[in-house]
Amino acid sequence: MSKRALFGMLAVILAVTLGARDALAQARMITGKVTSAQTGAPIARANVSVFGTVVVTLTNDQGEYSLSAPAGQVRVLVRAVGFKRRQVTVTADQQTADFALDQDVFNLEAVVVTGQATAVAQQNLANAVATIAPEALTRAPTPTIENAVQGKIPGALIQENSGAPGGGAQITLRGVSTINGSVNPLIVVDGMVISNDVIASNMNAVTAAAGGGNASNQDNAVNRLADLNPADVANVEVLKGASAAAIYGSEAANGVIIITTKRGQTGAPRFTMTQRFGQFRLANKLGQRRFTDSADAVSAFGHGAIVGPICRNGCPFYDFEQELYGLHTLSFETDGSISGGTDQTSYFISGLVKRDGGIAPNTGYDKQSIRANLDQLLGSRFHLSVSTQLIHSLANRGISNNDNTSTSPYLVFPFTPSFFNLEPNANGVYPFNPFPGNGSNPLQTLALLKNAEDVWRVLGTTKLRIDALTSGPHHLEFNIMGGLDYYEQQNDILSPPTLYFEPADGQPGTVVLGKGSDQRVNLVGSAIYNYAPASGSYSATTSAGFQYQDSHLNQTNAVGRTILAGQQNINQATTIVINQAQTPVRSAGLYAQEEVLALDQRLLVTGGVRADRSSVNGDTRKFFYFPKFSASYRFLTPVSGLDEVKIRGAFGQTGNPPLFGQKFTPEGTGVIGGLFGTVSGANAGSSDIKPERQTEMEGGFDATVGHEFATFSFTYYNKTITDLLLVARVAPSTGRTNRIFNGGKLRNLGQEIALSISPFRRPDLNWIARLTFSRNRSKVVELPVPAFNTGGFGTSLGAFRIEQGKSATQIVGTEGVVGDAEPKFQATGSSDLTWKRWNFGFLWDWKKGGDIINLTQLLYDAGSNSADQIPAGNQRITDWANGKTKIYVQDGSYLKLREVTLGYDLPESLVGHLFGGVRYARLNVSGRNLIRITPYKGLDPEVSNFGNQAIARNIDVAPFPPSRSFFFSIDLGF
Amino acid sequence: MRPLLNAVSALCLGGALVLSACNFEITNPNSPTEIGNGADAAHVAAAMEGMLIAARGDVPNWILKAAILGREGYRIDPADPRFVSELITAPKLDPSNGAFGGGQWVAEYAAIRSGYNVLNVIGTALISPEQQEGVSGFTQTLQAYAYMMVLFAHTEDSIPIDVNRPLTAPPAPFVTNTAAWDHVVSLLDSAKTHLLAAGGTFFFSLPPGLAGFDTPAGFLKLNRALLARADLYRASEFTCATCYDDALTALGESFVDTTASLDLGAYFDFSANSGDATNGLSQLPSSAINLVHTSLRDSLAVNGGSDNRYTAKITSRGGALCDPLAPARCSDLAWIRYPSISSPIPIIRNEELILIRAEANNNRTARNPAAAAADINFIRVHSGGLAANAALAGATQSAVEDEILIQRKYSLLYEGMRWVDMRRTGRIGQIIKDLPTDNVFSTLPVNSFEAQSRQ
Repeated sequence: MSKRALFGMLAVILAVTLGARDALAQARMITGKVTSAQTGAPIARANVSVFGTVVVTLTNDQGEYSLSAPAGQVRVLVRAVGFKRRQVTVTADQQTADFALDQDVFNLEAVVVTGQATAVAQQNLANAVATIAPEALTRAPTPTIENAVQGKIPGALIQENSGAPGGGAQITLRGVSTINGSVNPLIVVDGMVISNDVIASNMNAVTAAAGGGNASNQDNAVNRLADLNPADVANVEVLKGASAAAIYGSEAANGVIIITTKRGQTGAPRFTMTQRFGQFRLANKLGQRRFTDSADAVSAFGHGAIVGPICRNGCPFYDFEQELYGLHTLSFETDGSISGGTDQTSYFISGLVKRDGGIAPNTGYDKQSIRANLDQLLGSRFHLSVSTQLIHSLANRGISNNDNTSTSPYLVFPFTPSFFNLEPNANGVYPFNPFPGNGSNPLQTLALLKNAEDVWRVLGTTKLRIDALTSGPHHLEFNIMGGLDYYEQQNDILSPPTLYFEPADGQPGTVVLGKGSDQRVNLVGSAIYNYAPASGSYSATTSAGFQYQDSHLNQTNAVGRTILAGQQNINQATTIVINQAQTPVRSAGLYAQEEVLALDQRLLVTGGVRADRSSVNGDTRKFFYFPKFSASYRFLTPVSGLDEVKIRGAFGQTGNPPLFGQKFTPEGTGVIGGLFGTVSGANAGSSDIKPERQTEMEGGFDATVGHEFATFSFTYYNKTITDLLLVARVAPSTGRTNRIFNGGKLRNLGQEIALSISPFRRPDLNWIARLTFSRNRSKVVELPVPAFNTGGFGTSLGAFRIEQGKSATQIVGTEGVVGDAEPKFQATGSSDLTWKRWNFGFLWDWKKGGDIINLTQLLYDAGSNSADQIPAGNQRITDWANGKTKIYVQDGSYLKLREVTLGYDLPESLVGHLFGGVRYARLNVSGRNLIRITPYKGLDPEVSNFGNQAIARNIDVAPFPPSRSFFFSIDLGF
Repeated sequence: MRPLLNAVSALCLGGALVLSACNFEITNPNSPTEIGNGADAAHVAAAMEGMLIAARGDVPNWILKAAILGREGYRIDPADPRFVSELITAPKLDPSNGAFGGGQWVAEYAAIRSGYNVLNVIGTALISPEQQEGVSGFTQTLQAYAYMMVLFAHTEDSIPIDVNRPLTAPPAPFVTNTAAWDHVVSLLDSAKTHLLAAGGTFFFSLPPGLAGFDTPAGFLKLNRALLARADLYRASEFTCATCYDDALTALGESFVDTTASLDLGAYFDFSANSGDATNGLSQLPSSAINLVHTSLRDSLAVNGGSDNRYTAKITSRGGALCDPLAPARCSDLAWIRYPSISSPIPIIRNEELILIRAEANNNRTARNPAAAAADINFIRVHSGGLAANAALAGATQSAVEDEILIQRKYSLLYEGMRWVDMRRTGRIGQIIKDLPTDNVFSTLPVNSFEAQSRQ
């Protein structure tokens, strides 16, 4: 979109605004105090307004307010975060009005985004939208935001790809929604769609996991959602399927995660400060075979000349895993924020400095971030909001995952006997490891190899809200938002020639320089018209708008080989190979939505439609339409003891756009003898490719019982994806291997149950416990191509097989179906108990079922080196060789204590005594993943050798091992 | 409600701007588009280099796999046991795995497709008619080479040859191997006609591996050498009365020459340069996992215990590497046939042509044992460093054939010929099984996706 077009549109909006008129007689003052009905404590920053007008004010720190109200009888409405709203009628002669607000323990009145620009209260919501409050996000420190939401969203499967520092995790909402399309949910931060792309490091140049050429999905890459700072987040909402997310259109098939950052509020400056110290520790080891005498050792490993002397008086035992991953480096995190404001201006500024120490040498994760959110009222109608964040992160991720070069530690350990000492001698010289052939010694590798991922990222949005008209029942506002998300990622890999494995490829020393950038520009405009007649019988919200996105991912990667020790610049390498891949995409959408809240706020009916076009579609001019419709009805006290029951139903469609390039038939290129050549490409694109279409129907009910003693929610959904982006294998004799087309049908059926109880709600004792349960079943309903394998290393090592009538995540082996990666169910249990000054919380995360292809164990068994090699390991590998792939397709169930925290609020008297001016001080100890119970035989059931995948997750090949963390924190408020 | 109307018009305007002001036609920045009508010289030249690149693509895989299937060697890869489990111990080859049982199909037909992409539009290319002839002759020769790769690996009489058809058309019908070999010969002959009309030079450059074959006349010699290889194969595998004679005729027009280096020939180049491919068969002997079958050392005895070809291409790896699943499968011998990552791999070379001539002379209807013995002894002396075998000229046809196969074994070590030779001469049963449970396969199955597309 051109600048001129933008200015033109602004001019139109301004013209509309200036045309509006309204008059308001301000005649008198109403004053009063807002307190908590439970504790009597004053509620600061409650919003006090006169219904049907723009008159609004906030309470001060003592809970007091004064409001200039029109003459005559008015209705005054008070709202505060965490409390239920209250509305009273103030007669013409009444000068004061006090309010005691009930705690909203189940967040029934929390406002949830349902449109691009509109929101409704949770109690009316027609979808099961998961919301996560900031306290829940930062209760226990987490490496990245994905960890922070693990176990907190019913219906979401959130799993790390490995234990490497710096993130890399996948969020799957309500099951598999695509086979070949994008798997990432849409991430919206302050109204802007941000990038969650992955730029792989090209560790493949060292590991040759994918043949050693270009960057590979086996590089253990990080998806860039990792950059956000959980401490900045005010609210996370998760729209899990098409019925809720339809208004986000053709990119929302994997759900939408809406993140709102904190903003300043009127009042004196407030400072908060959190300082944390802690450490990460290796959570699990595989163990290794112990040898008692040299005869055993020689028969398993040969090398009699080496083994004999070592094992002369019985073989020693070295715990390689502990030696390599046994570090407890100090980790720390400092969060600080300052916020405040005047009637016209408010601000929120935060900073973060953190370091997650790695458990292996030369690994770890550093992050720094500064956020500044500014709100400015211009006159009475224009509200300008600016949000900016600058983030820097540096992840040193070591080397892990599959290889073909005996470089990844867990691909060397299986072939190195435990009696061989890999530790360096007194001069710091690491021994050559004769067992894998190329001498690879993982202790040397991690000590000398550098794998750094350095990211600088800027997120910025500017939003202008114009209250164009407020007149009686009419309210009209315009929003226009422009946003930029830009990051630059540099990957530096240096595998020096002194590493024993380096000369094996004939080119000692490898250096990789990756430079990637991702630029996303958003432009969003909307108009919202709200009609709320004074009778209060109903209100209607009409909204319409547009969204424009331009993104450009540009990845370059240079690999240099044969370098001298001590050299690290690309140009010092003897041979240099350079790759580049660009992904430019433009898309635009238009939408309109109508929400009607009627029958005394008991009935909510919503309808909307979105139209999208994109450069990735075959026909770039064509709009694809995605409708939605939903309704909910609240029965108030239908029977005694039942406070409220809401029944709800929703229908919606979303899309998943073709991947960039699926419409092209690209030629391959190559070089021979210095001459450039083109070859016929393997993949035939489709000039009429279009988005996948997801249709979701969701229904359920929410009940509140026993005067808000408990809430219960049940949701059932049926999610059907048609027009799948499918790859048809064509007869290879055509010279092509694949043809892309739209077809087939995939279905997910699932249930989600949430139960919360709040048995105690007293000033000195408050307890909330939550249980969630969810299950999903996927099925390939129609498949217009023969069943095919996707992902994995071929049938004999377990492969995912897409087959009509079967689960989309079934795993097949030599003998047929041997497992399914889909969990049987997931359940979580969490508790928050506050007793006097103490707070105790925990979160258990239980995944039942979900099989994993454990090739790490296969490698140990093949190397005759498993801890239980004799006889179990030998039996396994023999069974496998006899066609039983099932041996290595193992139950990935787990029960993890995700979070446990214990906090203590220091008494005000003591706080005031210790630190002048401090409002509160809180001490906290917390841990993550402290307990893990699993039948799985690998390092961790959260594993994905191929990173984020639609289907082929759960493949375990030499991952970075998992860690658990402990932190001690102090929170201060000024 | 004027403001509301204004709002609606503002949004409509906004929407209209979104519709009109943005260009959504983004071309693919990552790769060139396929060659089409009216291609310029540079585009055609790139397609010619591409033909070589496409034909080269599968060669290292083929040599490694043929070595394992014919027990020239093993690959004992700690990280990937499938080079044994899929190719030696499996009860049957898996046609769905392109790296193993389903191989020597996709890459070869992709090369053939690359050729048709050019041949289909060459008449409109912005180059002279002579230059167009050169393109056709060059392309068809390499297409024939790709077909031969498929045919060396597949004997199931299920070869598609009428493959120049749209993607949406039904797949090309399967024909017998005999018919497919006829097609190879006719392609090579058609290429000859084109090359003869192609003038004195190609307008495109050729890499160093084709030095001496980089003119239409020079390239024709390579074309004829490939034809000789094809005729020899046809003669031994099928009933073809004139094929040995045809091979001799073809050799006469090729570069066979007992006064030239035995390594004279055409090669595929490899390098570590950006965009190029390295020779994946190279390895450091000390960390080698591509191993030589120890029977090659054992059978040296027939050559008097020593052979220059053996010492030049095979060395000790300094310690045996054994199959973890079957310790009896061990070797301490590493390939050094391709010593560096930029070692070229032969397309065909003089030494093979001399041995083809010997075999044709030994087996043709009008047998010429003296000529056969002369060529065999030439190889024994000049390649193996062995004494000439004076008894050969008077030996029986089958004794001479045995001797030719021994010489081919050592002369063409790790060049993808051993397994093919054993099969075409009916000796597949003589391939050594290290364990009684091992399997020896005589052919790869038809790639499963090829079979599937016909169901």
